[in-house]
Amino acid sequence: MNVTALMKAVPGSVAQGLIWGLLAIGVYITYKVLDYADLTVDGSLCTGGAVAVMLMLSGYNPYVALICAGIAGMLAGLVTGIFHVAFGIPAILSGILTQLGLYSVNMRIMGKSNQAISVDKYNLILSLRDVPKAILVSGIFCAVMITILYWFFGTELGRSIRATGNNENMSRAQGINTKTTKVIGLMISNGMVGVAGALYAQYQGNADVNMGRGAIVIGLAAVIIGGVLFGKIFRNFAMRLVGVIFGAILYFVVIAIVLQLGLETTDLKLVSALIVAAFLAVPYIKGQHRINGKKGGKANA
Amino acid sequence: MKKNKMRLIAATVMAAMVISMTGCGSTGEAEQPAEGDSAEGKTYAVGVMQLVEHPALDAATQGFQDKLTELLGDSVTFDVQNAQGESTNSTTIATKFVSDDVDLIMANATGAVQAAAAATADIPIVGTSVTDFHTAGVVDSNETPGRNVTGVSDLTPIDEQIKLLQQVYPEAKKVAIVYCSAEPNSIFQSELAQEALTEAGIEFKEYTAADSNEIQAVITNAIGECDAVFIPTDNTMASNMEIVKNVTVPAGIPVFVGEEGMCKTGGLATLSISFYDLGQKAGEMAYDILVNGADPAATPIGFVSDNIVPKYNPEIAEALGITMPEGFEPIQ
Repeated sequence: MNVTALMKAVPGSVAQGLIWGLLAIGVYITYKVLDYADLTVDGSLCTGGAVAVMLMLSGYNPYVALICAGIAGMLAGLVTGIFHVAFGIPAILSGILTQLGLYSVNMRIMGKSNQAISVDKYNLILSLRDVPKAILVSGIFCAVMITILYWFFGTELGRSIRATGNNENMSRAQGINTKTTKVIGLMISNGMVGVAGALYAQYQGNADVNMGRGAIVIGLAAVIIGGVLFGKIFRNFAMRLVGVIFGAILYFVVIAIVLQLGLETTDLKLVSALIVAAFLAVPYIKGQHRINGKKGGKANA
Repeated sequence: MKKNKMRLIAATVMAAMVISMTGCGSTGEAEQPAEGDSAEGKTYAVGVMQLVEHPALDAATQGFQDKLTELLGDSVTFDVQNAQGESTNSTTIATKFVSDDVDLIMANATGAVQAAAAATADIPIVGTSVTDFHTAGVVDSNETPGRNVTGVSDLTPIDEQIKLLQQVYPEAKKVAIVYCSAEPNSIFQSELAQEALTEAGIEFKEYTAADSNEIQAVITNAIGECDAVFIPTDNTMASNMEIVKNVTVPAGIPVFVGEEGMCKTGGLATLSISFYDLGQKAGEMAYDILVNGADPAATPIGFVSDNIVPKYNPEIAEALGITMPEGFEPIQ
């Protein structure tokens, strides 16, 4: 493996990791904070990208487009929330239904399956063309988002969302409207994913109806890798989110390594699956060892 | 003790990432070859990125590599990567080629060309298996690309395809146009097909599948309402022609397809451009750019309009009980 070539490929992975890190933060909010397996992200990523690209093609300012993409993502989260809370559809299914429906919505927004937006013609915030700038911009976005979320989850509404995810029955007993908190949690999460989609569409230079496919897997991988690697070190909520972003970056660095090693891209999925499995297995095995091993055991029970 | 160890690991990981940022500085300065380099003795690094695996794209890549190897011999090295249909992989591969500072990028299929075009404005890009470069947003116009992207289009004259349909199956009353809604090339070809069918006075209806899982249902629905099927060069359909064959042949419906690979697996007849020839033409373009210093911005998009042969699949023709007119070549 060519180490210099690998070092040169790492910045690209870091840029991708930071952009997908925003999506991973969205997944973290639903998966870890709210304890809700939300599959809407496969659709809302594209929705954010589609809205942003179509607005920019119509001449709007890219930041305005970004905000609208976030709002579009929040609407997607709202739909999932309504499915679950008002119609009683189970958590995973409501996400799947929204994601399914969003395919048609995204096609309508874009008018066709793929809308290109060239960095040569439009004023994009970031692009694959200039990777260092992309790293800087997405890094700033991540930092700002984490700061806002850290503040938000310290407010009363934010804490009630955390409580809902921790113990729903107890929260309801304490007078928290868990239906509202779930919907708000989903809206925030998918809003973040919408913004991530808008950034990613600009980064790769087009919005494609299939761009969100498999996004939930990358998001979960980032959350899990970040959690296992940095969970013991980072106790602070804001740092946990930073850990999630590191997880996303690590995921893309591993893909770059796989490509540099000359492995077939066909083997990429197997490698990703094995890595995530390994990250999940390590703490579990360590936990087992502690129960049955030298320090504990029946003598000290 | 353990806490400090963990902190040390975290610090090392973060330091490694910061150090890798310094790699950013070097990606900015591309290593330009010295001014006085001659063509002899210089090895060209060519990056080949293919969007997905199916016979037509594979044939184009093969044709490209064969042609360049024929013209340049040992002075060319290839780095062939396949994105397996995922846009994140396309982006990663494009970034890899840019950081490896290859001399030329061959991008096979629309998604690959878009990723490459976004990744670099300097490295010449030759695209193939793209029906319309202008709709893909990678060139200013097909005659003068105006930037570092040029290539060869796989557009077959759709009006000729429809004439072929009438020739083989004159009793067609209603034609189903089937394709994957996620592919812009197919929408483009469908519109051309609709124009040609209107001119020929044949009824038609569009049926779209969002992805490969829907193909069986869509085809079954299509043949329930129509008596012939036309499928343009669509990556998703091309990868799933077995499904199409297994639904249409028992029902006795003839399927006319956009290219030979699709016909070989599951279509009745096609006006075939050879994707291998497409790749070869792209190889010639690449040679021109690499060795003769041609400027991609001034190189018009190439079309493979010569060497179009009507071909048919003999097994399917037999199963459907259709006798092919003169001049059709059987695909072995």
